[in-house]
Amino acid sequence: MTTQAPQDVKTYRRQLRRALDNAFLRQTLDTFAAAYRESRARAFEGIDLEGLIADIARRKASALPRLEELFEEFKRRAEAAGAVVHSAATAREANELIARIARENGVRTIIKSKSMTAEETFLNAHLEGEGFEVTETDLGEWIIQLRREGPSHMVLPAIHLSRHQVAELFEKVTGERQDPDDIEKMVKVARRTLRRAFLEADMGISGANFAVAESGTLGLVTNEGNARLVTTLPRVHVALVGYDKLLPDMETALTILKALPRNATGQIISTYVTWITGATPCAASPTGRKILHIIFLDNGRLQLAKDPVFSQALQCVRCGACANVCPIYRLVGGHHYGHVYIGAIGLILTAFYHGVENARALVMNCLNCQACKAVCPAGIDLPYLIKNAVRHVLEREKRRPVKNLLLSKVLKDRKLFHFLLRRAALAQKPLAGKEPLIRHLPLFFDKTHGFRSLPVIQAVPFRDRWERTRPPVADPAMRVTLFGGCLIDFVYPEQAEAVLPLLSDHRVAVDFPPGQTCCGLPALMAAEKETARDVALQNLRAVDLDRSDWILTLCASCGSHMKENYPKLLGDDPVWGERVRRFAEKVIDFSSFLKNVLKVSPEDFAPSSQKTAYHAPCHLCRGLKVVEAPRELLKTAGWDYVPTKDEDVCCGFGGSYSLEFPEISAELLKRKLDHVEASGADMLVTDCPGCVLQLRGGADKQGRRFRVCHIAEAVARTYRKSR
Amino acid sequence: MTDLDLVALMTEKARSVQTVVEQCPHWAAVVRYTVELTAAQGGPTIAPWGLPEEVRDMLANGASEKGLRLLDPPFRASLEEIHTAITRADWGIAETGTVVLDSTAEDLRIATMLSETHVIVLPQGRLRRSSFDVAEAVKAWHREPPRYVAFISGASRTADIERVLTIGVHGPQHLHLLILQEGAS
Repeated sequence: MTTQAPQDVKTYRRQLRRALDNAFLRQTLDTFAAAYRESRARAFEGIDLEGLIADIARRKASALPRLEELFEEFKRRAEAAGAVVHSAATAREANELIARIARENGVRTIIKSKSMTAEETFLNAHLEGEGFEVTETDLGEWIIQLRREGPSHMVLPAIHLSRHQVAELFEKVTGERQDPDDIEKMVKVARRTLRRAFLEADMGISGANFAVAESGTLGLVTNEGNARLVTTLPRVHVALVGYDKLLPDMETALTILKALPRNATGQIISTYVTWITGATPCAASPTGRKILHIIFLDNGRLQLAKDPVFSQALQCVRCGACANVCPIYRLVGGHHYGHVYIGAIGLILTAFYHGVENARALVMNCLNCQACKAVCPAGIDLPYLIKNAVRHVLEREKRRPVKNLLLSKVLKDRKLFHFLLRRAALAQKPLAGKEPLIRHLPLFFDKTHGFRSLPVIQAVPFRDRWERTRPPVADPAMRVTLFGGCLIDFVYPEQAEAVLPLLSDHRVAVDFPPGQTCCGLPALMAAEKETARDVALQNLRAVDLDRSDWILTLCASCGSHMKENYPKLLGDDPVWGERVRRFAEKVIDFSSFLKNVLKVSPEDFAPSSQKTAYHAPCHLCRGLKVVEAPRELLKTAGWDYVPTKDEDVCCGFGGSYSLEFPEISAELLKRKLDHVEASGADMLVTDCPGCVLQLRGGADKQGRRFRVCHIAEAVARTYRKSR
Repeated sequence: MTDLDLVALMTEKARSVQTVVEQCPHWAAVVRYTVELTAAQGGPTIAPWGLPEEVRDMLANGASEKGLRLLDPPFRASLEEIHTAITRADWGIAETGTVVLDSTAEDLRIATMLSETHVIVLPQGRLRRSSFDVAEAVKAWHREPPRYVAFISGASRTADIERVLTIGVHGPQHLHLLILQEGAS
């Protein structure tokens, strides 16, 4: 079992490249992703999911400041019922305590049911080192224990293995031939073999999904039934429980239970839910009652619970869904997407439970695509916490990469930033010639970055053309501030220019305040929170809210960052708080503006027979929760919209992510383009210039036969001017 | 929701997790079902727990007619011999197809965990819609510890090998739910 995660990005990238070559893993995780999506949706049918998530988030969040108090209450109740309740400050302390309990009770053999907390402390290794015989009894955990590896998923620990690998392993264990295609029979082999371990064990170790303080009750959720045997047959039961599992009451546990199996495996309930209070009857024990020890593990949790940002991570109910929907997990599997804890939550918890050195490379591997956040049953803003975890790691290691320093320096000074962009336009000339794309990258990129062509920076940015292109509107029906964002302003001004006639025809007076700058998302992505705040302020100052009915943006990333993160960055500011909320309320994406505000109709457009695929930008469909508007808009604008597979899965851009992890970015891009090609579409439309950059660059490099454009360009093409 | 709606919902949800659901008009039908099922499965033993005295006697007669053996507690003495366990449920939760058993008694736990087939008798009047409808009762149990309460929804299962759903890994391989109609229970 590895007790170390990759310590630097270079090593990590090497491991990721190897994982990308594992065809079985890719196939398995792909099938799983599709099946999970369906079964989850079915399981939540008829349930107010948003309401349930908000309820769980509120209940968990309100328990966190009271963890020590809840511990005392739990201890009082459970000890009155015959249990012994301990608190362990560190993983080591917990492991030593469990070994001591085992020694004091003359234990030799131990059976375990699945516990991520025990994985966290590397309990098995410790107990085996102390001479105890430990057997995992959850089938998946048993398989990986026999292989001496860690779980690759929090709920499906052996999902990375094929039936052939399991058959081979079971042949070694039993000395009998196994038929890899008879999974049922292999499960029976496990049943028979593990039954012996159950019957002979002196001690059972479990985790817990819930620790209900009001009655000192442990709640365990399983499908196999092994936790029931672990807590019943041996004379000693030790439960190792994270402090974060403490809940005030049974109602809270039942509320979480409503979401946990549905979100974890798409089951409406797991087969066995077990509630244990105190030392139950046990004929194997000399006293006739179970010897029950419950150990609450701190290992950083109590500190974390006090942190204004990271405490949210303790709301996790360990359903594993953040891995299920993560496009990166889907490519490389859990052994390469987490340390002990897997998926988005794993990236965060590793930094706190297993040291920043083990999180250093892992935390960088996030696209900020928001898929995990959208699926989290406890309402955790996982991508935001991951970016904060990057900062945490850098601060702990007293590091600040040169690129961060440069980014901050440049973004804080808009004039310098825009000066540099103009110089870059000159510098790239020899590379691009007369082409709008750069196909051969300059030497400071390495060859792994060559998976897409890059667009050229315009010689004359949108801001410099504005006074010329601005259409006159004599009698405006509304006033809109156009927020360009760097890509529209300096790379793709034509995307904004394309829709100006439509806007003026609809009597929309458009303003483009020159004081606006980068939205600041790149700064937040690089964990430069102060810079992100500073840049947000520049934009707040630039926009005259009293003269803006809407702040319209063609960039989904800018839009969702301004709408959601600006209030997070400045909402508490006594001077800017109110203003930032007003600003955020006015932010609107292009599709919603046309569909819901201007209410454009099919008569405004000339139909086209071209088949058009759509890519849903992460920051539009999840960030701004705009799902139907762009698809409706395409149809209204006369395009023959054809649905494609995984429309809302990230294209792999993720801003600087595509430079940091080019192999993953390239693979996600390739899949996206494959799906579009399979649909037979002539055109791929999206509503974020970042996605356009990635998709168009990839389509060009791979010689795909469809064009890529921004939805604004598509709409402008079929628009019938001035009816 | 009427009682009949609840029964229909319970039946649908329990069947969706591979529980075999039957309605029994009276205890005699329960006894007959259990004996025939056990005989058909070739199981040599039945471990009853928590049944009314006269039902236990009926079961003993029925079992001996088929050449089956009735096991007596303590079941620790026959951990590897239990084919069928027959027990009563305290509550049913219709919307998830769940039965709730106060399993504090060790013999009940052993019977329901180590048997190959578990027959659960749920008096129709103990059927509720959601887990929140039984929350107060569950809380009341835990106010009087020690306590071991089980929510059971279907037979033991795993999907740990290539995500293929496989029934019967550690717990019973078959779960039969008999909804008992008579008020006389």
